This record gives sequence, structure tokens and C-alpha cells, in this order.
Amino acid sequence: MRTEDEVSGLPAAPLGVPSIPDGLPPAPELGGAPEPEPRSQWQLFRRRFFRHRAAVIGGGVLLFLYLVCFGAKFIAPYDKNHLNLLLGPTSPSKEHWMGTDELGRDQLTEILYAGQISLKIGMAVALMSTAIGATLGAVAGYFGRWVDQVLMRMTDLFLVVPGIAILAIALKRFGQTDTIIILVLAALGWTYVARVVRGQVLSIKEKEFVEAARAAGASSTRIITRHILPNCIGPIVVNTTLGIAAAIVTESTLSFLGFGLQKPATSWGNMLADSEGYYSHNTHLLYFPGLMILITVLCVNFLGDGLRDAFDPQSHH
Amino acid sequence: MPDLRTIDLEPAAGDPGGEWRGPILEVRDLTVHFPSDDGLVKAVDGITFDVLPNETLGIVGESGSGKSVTSMAILGLLPKTALITGSVKFRGRELLGLRENELQPLRGQSIAMVFQDALAALNPVFTVGAQIAEAIKVHHEVNSKDLRERGVELLNIVGIPNPSERFDNYPHEFSGGMRQRAMIAMSIANEPDVLIADEPTTALDVTIQAQVLEVLERIQDRTSSSILLITHDLGVVAGTADRVMVMYAGREAEVGTVEDIFYNPRHPYTRGLLASLPRVDGRRGDRLHRIVGQPPSLIVLPTGCAFHPRCNDARVPGPCNDQRPELHLVEDAHSSACHYAEDLPALSTTDLAADAEETASDD
Repeated sequence: MRTEDEVSGLPAAPLGVPSIPDGLPPAPELGGAPEPEPRSQWQLFRRRFFRHRAAVIGGGVLLFLYLVCFGAKFIAPYDKNHLNLLLGPTSPSKEHWMGTDELGRDQLTEILYAGQISLKIGMAVALMSTAIGATLGAVAGYFGRWVDQVLMRMTDLFLVVPGIAILAIALKRFGQTDTIIILVLAALGWTYVARVVRGQVLSIKEKEFVEAARAAGASSTRIITRHILPNCIGPIVVNTTLGIAAAIVTESTLSFLGFGLQKPATSWGNMLADSEGYYSHNTHLLYFPGLMILITVLCVNFLGDGLRDAFDPQSHH
Repeated sequence: MPDLRTIDLEPAAGDPGGEWRGPILEVRDLTVHFPSDDGLVKAVDGITFDVLPNETLGIVGESGSGKSVTSMAILGLLPKTALITGSVKFRGRELLGLRENELQPLRGQSIAMVFQDALAALNPVFTVGAQIAEAIKVHHEVNSKDLRERGVELLNIVGIPNPSERFDNYPHEFSGGMRQRAMIAMSIANEPDVLIADEPTTALDVTIQAQVLEVLERIQDRTSSSILLITHDLGVVAGTADRVMVMYAGREAEVGTVEDIFYNPRHPYTRGLLASLPRVDGRRGDRLHRIVGQPPSLIVLPTGCAFHPRCNDARVPGPCNDQRPELHLVEDAHSSACHYAEDLPALSTTDLAADAEETASDD
């Protein structure tokens, strides 16, 4: 029972007053059914997510990939760059599950180490470009007028320049390291998120709850961060996951074209590039890095799908 | 000459630190015009009123009579394109022309608003509790335990059953009446001096309406705040308001106490509204009275009295169509903007019904 009322200046409700009208059963909405256990937001989120089977599998596989790649030091069957020139390229076998390349390096080991870089680039680029894109998109959509004009024309500019060419030049100019690749990909990749978020914000800012928030005295920053962006979380998450996939693919493309990482650093992309001659024999050298990219991209997309549904409190799937 | 439309209640002179005793809200000659492709839309065309401490002022009018625009203008929530003149004073402080960051501390804290459609006005992705907490956090630094306690208490005050469990529900898990009550809980979270309730019961069915109005009344008893109750429903006003302002085409038609307005209406428009109320003691098969014609275009208002094209008592040609009637006192604290306010016959409610019958047979 509540006896003291310290938080407020409002007099405490006398007992019995709260249920209006008097005489009605306390919770007519529930129709007399036993009160279900209240669930926390996190529990609800988890429940909705785990109902999405593809997302759970995708998330699981992705988690597994991250674990094995970043734990390569402990689980890789051979040392990195362990050469066995006498062995040469071999097909997958009991000793080398993914075969070896022409220098006799174990492909499984190589793929695990290369995965560290590919996955790191994917995650970092996706997070950075989402952060930039969501911020700029929200600001453009919320404030409108000239702010919107300036930001959106800038976005258009970024969209019309040939990305690969800019990337190639930038990498040649600043050095072909993973950090530079991440920065340049993020700097070029935010435009899509920005446009999606802007579109969402344009529709959400007309909603009455935004006006209600203004009427409650909330500042623009508060409205954007507390009311508008949480309502865009679905599209933002989906775009982040798509961004992971896009970054991994773009990095692979760059590496394939020779603008990517420089040896000895390897990624799945430049493993593919290195094996470009093997389309008729030793095709495992092409298949495995390609397969890793494919699996990652697929899993990331499934995961994004599930997260979007789970973030929507009104989803009933 | 003192302005007859305002209540003569001077703030305690020479006592600036003391309790403000004047009107909480003073609106003077407020006009709100919106430029449009077809011309200037005169949504509010010079209205003046006061809201006294601890009173409920009902603002009644048809759609488009400027009720909501008035309330938005008070809070400075209108789009930047709106042309606003006049004066809105809160506790003697001018609100019009204040910058956004000067208004923000007032909104929700001194003047709060209850919106019509609670489902739309609540953020769908947060729990009701989180939103009540947010309303407090905008203005106060409170730790999360106290926020929860306060939120549950507020839900309790507005009569939500099982408030501590309901605190964690999402708006879509609430029924319509509960949502509206949760909205009210949010708006009173900071104990505002003025609560603007913009059609708070319009989206609700009658039984829930009664509950929500009761909550508003109870809150007013406790916090002694003033309520600006905007509605098109005379029934709502009759049960809740102390004074009533009837609006037509962006201006006041009649202002008075509830008794004045309902028992001695001095404006043909008010009479028309009253006559259109369905009556319990009416005969079966009686047709409801209606005010003929359409509300006027707010771009090209009728000359003279804006109501004259629809008015049964209009004397045309005459002052009705070439002189804009000013609001004037017809009796103590009761004023009307009709040239012939004093000449209108005193009508009892039965007369109103008879009047309605007569008009119905005229059609």
C-alpha cells in the first residue's frame, strides 16, 4: 500500500478512487481471464526474434563465423602462412579440409584468418555508414527546408559519382590498408541509409505523437533521438545488415580488381582474386572463399529480417 | 473604456512575488491567418478571452471554427507559415514571439495538452510507462526508480486498473479509454497550470467519455489547474465547464457561464446548436433541428456578421450584412456578438424545441 507520496506534489489517490467507475470489475479489458505475467520489453523482443527461424539460424551461423574467424589462432589447423611448397595445390582431403593452394598453404587456415578482415570490414563499414547516414537523414528529414536541400543534394552527388573509381583512387592515394578501406567505404556508403531514414522521418514527423512531444516541451534533439529514430529502427537495422553484406562484397570486388588489401594481409576478396586462374582445375580455391562470402551475406540478410520484425512491438507474425 | 470581453481581475499590485491572481491565460485579439494558393485563410480572426485560475473554460464550435488553431497558437505549435498577431499572456508573460527554446520549458510544464486521438498521440514503439517517464524527464532530472513510482501513481490517479503492470504495456495493448487516460496522465505529469484538452473525448464512446471527463474533473480538484476544454459537443461542455465560449468562423459568438449559454442563449448560432441537440423527451419521428447552410469559407467571410447567411433572425439588408458585430455584454459576465442579442426573445427549452420543429417544417 502506498502511504507516502514523495515524488509528486499531487495528493495521493485515496484508496478506492482509482477504479472508475466504481463498481466495475477492476480490469474489464481482460474479461475476467487470469492476469498474464507481465513481460519486459527485452523478453518480448526475444520472443518475437526467436519465432523467426531463418533469422535465428542466420544469426547463429554468423556468430559461429565470427567466433571461428577471430578465434583462428586457437582453432586453425595450421599456422598462418605455413608453406608446404612440395605439396602444391591439392583438393580437399582429410588433412586439408579445404585443400591447399599452389604454395601448399592450408586453405581452411587462410580462410579463417582472411575472414577476420572481411568480417571486420563488413561490420565496421555498416556501423559507421549507418551512423552517418541515419544522423544526416534524420536531420534532413526533420528540419526540412534548406537543411534538407543541402544534405540531399550532397547525397545525390555521392550517389552519382562512380564509387569503385573513387575507391580505387582513394586507396591508391592513402594506402591499401583495412583502416583506409573501412573509412572510404563508410564515407561512400552512408547515402543509401540517409535517403531511407529521411523518407521515414518525413512521414513520422507528421505523426501526432511528435506534435504531442513538442507540446510536452521536448527539444528537437530530444524528439529526433527519443521519438523519431526509434520509430525508424526497423529500416535502419535492415540497412545496417545489408550494409555488412555490401561492404564485404565491395571489398571483395576491390581486391579482385587489385585495389584492395595488399599482401600479406588477406581477405576473402583477395583470396578469390588470387585464384582467378583456377576456373578449370583446383576450383576449390575459388569455391571456398566465394562460399564464405555467400554464406555471410545470406545470414546477415536473414538476421536483419528477424531483427526488424522483433523491433516492431506491433508485429504479430 | 475597459474591454468588455475580458474579466476585470487585476494581479495583486505591488506584490510581484506573491501568488498570481489575475487570469492564468490572457488572449487578446488573437488572429491566425494561413497563406494559401486561394488566399488568406482566416482560421482565427481576432478572439479575446481569459482563463481564470482553477476554472474550466469550454470552447465550442463546429469543425473549422478555429478552436484547435487557437490552442496550438497558445503553445506556439503552429507551422512557421502561420501569420499570428495579437497577444497571448501566461501569468502576465507574453508567449507570442517567444523563441522555440524559450517556449520549451513552458510546454508540458506550465501549459500541457491532451490530444484528441490518443493512439496517434502516443509513440507506438515505447511502453506507456516509458512515455509518461519521458514527459517528466523532459523537464526534471529524476532517477528511474522514482520515475517508475511516479508513473504508476499517475496511472493510478487517472484510474488505470493494475497500474504497475499496465506501466509496461504498449499503447496498442490499451483500450481506447485507457489510452486517453494515459494521455491525460502524461499531460498532468508535471502538474501544469493550464491543461488544454483538445477534443479529449471525441474518439471515445459515451460511457468512456464520462469516465475521461470525470478524470479531468478530479484532477482539477486536486491540482487546481485551469482546463481549456475544446469540443464540438455541447453535452461535454454542459457537464464539465464553468464558462463557455462559442466560436463561429474564427471569432467568439457568445461567451458566458454554462447557465447563461444553456438557459439564456443570446446568439442565434448558440440557439441553433442547442436546438440541434437530440432530446430525451422529444416525440418519436421528430426530425432533429439543423442549422441550414454550410460553415462559411474562411477565405471569403460573409460581410457583416459571419453567421447572417444561416441566421433565422437576420435582418437583411441591415446591420447584419454590413456591420461586423462586436462582442458586447448583454448581462453580467455574459456577452454576445449579435446585433440583436438583446432583442432575441427569451426562450425556454420547450420553446427551443418548438422553434426547432418550426424550422424543420420550413425545410
